[in-house]
Amino acid sequence: MAPILELRGVVKRFGGVAAVNGVSLALEPGRIYGLIGPNGSGKTTLFNCITGVDQADEGQILFKGRRIDRLKPHQIFHLGVGRTFQVIRVFPELTALENLLVVTTTGYAEARRRAQELLALVKLERLAGEFAGNLSYGQQKLVEFIRVLMTDPELILLDEPAAGVNRTLLNELLDAVRRLRDQGKTVLLVEHDMKVVMGLCETVFVLDHGEKLAEGAPGVIQADERVIEAYFGR
Amino acid sequence: MKRWFPAGLALLAVALALYPLQATGYGVRVMLQLFMWIALAQSWNLISGLTGYVSFGHVVFFGTGAYASSVLIVTLGWAWPLACLGGGVAAAVLALLIGWPCLRLKGPYFAIATLGLNEVMRVVVSYYEGLTGGGNGLSLPTLYASVEIYYAMGIVAAVVTAVTYVIVTSRFGLRLMTIREDEVAAEAMGIDTLRYKLYAFLLSAAAPGIVGGLSARDQGYIEPLSVFPLIMTITMIVMALFGGKGTIWGPVLGAALLFAFQEVVWARFIYLHQLLFGAIIVGVVLLMPRGILGVLQQKYNLPRTI
Repeated sequence: MAPILELRGVVKRFGGVAAVNGVSLALEPGRIYGLIGPNGSGKTTLFNCITGVDQADEGQILFKGRRIDRLKPHQIFHLGVGRTFQVIRVFPELTALENLLVVTTTGYAEARRRAQELLALVKLERLAGEFAGNLSYGQQKLVEFIRVLMTDPELILLDEPAAGVNRTLLNELLDAVRRLRDQGKTVLLVEHDMKVVMGLCETVFVLDHGEKLAEGAPGVIQADERVIEAYFGR
Repeated sequence: MKRWFPAGLALLAVALALYPLQATGYGVRVMLQLFMWIALAQSWNLISGLTGYVSFGHVVFFGTGAYASSVLIVTLGWAWPLACLGGGVAAAVLALLIGWPCLRLKGPYFAIATLGLNEVMRVVVSYYEGLTGGGNGLSLPTLYASVEIYYAMGIVAAVVTAVTYVIVTSRFGLRLMTIREDEVAAEAMGIDTLRYKLYAFLLSAAAPGIVGGLSARDQGYIEPLSVFPLIMTITMIVMALFGGKGTIWGPVLGAALLFAFQEVVWARFIYLHQLLFGAIIVGVVLLMPRGILGVLQQKYNLPRTI
């Protein structure tokens, strides 16, 4: 199957530091991928390059065969790439409902219906009128998650979805991710919680010092000497 | 609340419409200036209150409108209402030209750029003496039209407030607010932030341009120093902050209260009033950064439309 997202030798430098250094990878549609690596290994920078927040210095990024590495974030979003952030970025002085409404391109009534539906999905319908900034950390995380789903993106990038979310909420979130996959969406997630990564992802990429260290099924990755070394040292 | 608010507004509008019939010339001039301040504070609110991009040179649109309309009257002989609309168009065009590069600047850099723009425009109008009279200023033909200008100012103030209402209650307005809340997230969520900022800037420039033209027509004489004063930008900012930036009625309230305060105090203590005005600025910023309406909205959980 043709990859939905393809990275070819992507490089991103900040000053003299190559945060991402020649990463190539391909995602096939309808699967859940994990992106792991020690702190500072370039995971978030890679997300930023894919979504246009940062511009790659070298290499190509293709979404459904089309180059997106020179497009702006809002253009990439409208092609069908949605993301969440590592540090929560809800709009604090907009209500939970408004946080969702701003994202849409459909008519107002249709957007409202969709927003209510998604709020119900994560059991936040009673907090729809509350300012997002007044919600708990976990609830804000959920708002950010469903905000991505407002426009039905084909590729969803999740930056540490499990961090700071309690177990019950987390299981619902993971179920939601699996359902997305079953609908044919592709998910790429950065996560430090290995249980989540191993239980959810079908393929895992390991980054270290901005380079792709390994790629494979979770079991294989877990046993990989180089990966263990990158995490724990020799 | 829902019923008496529109009714009260309608009553106020009727009272203001009838006011010139029994008022003194001085009274009309005072009210006309109040309308002008409402329009200015509300316009500043459109770009800075909603998107968070603080325009520190907003008076540049007032001055540009004043000069554009005056030149249209003096050299082309346009009727003043048409010329004032021309002033609004000129200000909006300037906003477009300036906004395109400057709205890419983030945070304080945008504020500084707009501040600089005001100084540049003042020098530009001083330089093109043939058209603007340079430092000697520009005199307009004598005309007694204070009452007409009173109505025109009132209409502009009402229209800007109505436009603000429509924007704040629409998705367009919500999207402008996402820029204030978190621009990176707004971009990532598919909002073309530069385009939205440009629209807001354009809208926020038009009314000051018209009002500048009306004010010039009312005064009958303009010079670079009188139509590009930094203090005017500061005043409109303070009015919007005092009433509540980012709200619909905050700038109206702030303009009305501070203008009334200025009139009363100015009449009694000529030298003290600027000091008191400064004290209000400090007080608002320190104690009430959300302004009167912002505080009330938060305390009583009021909807955005109040």
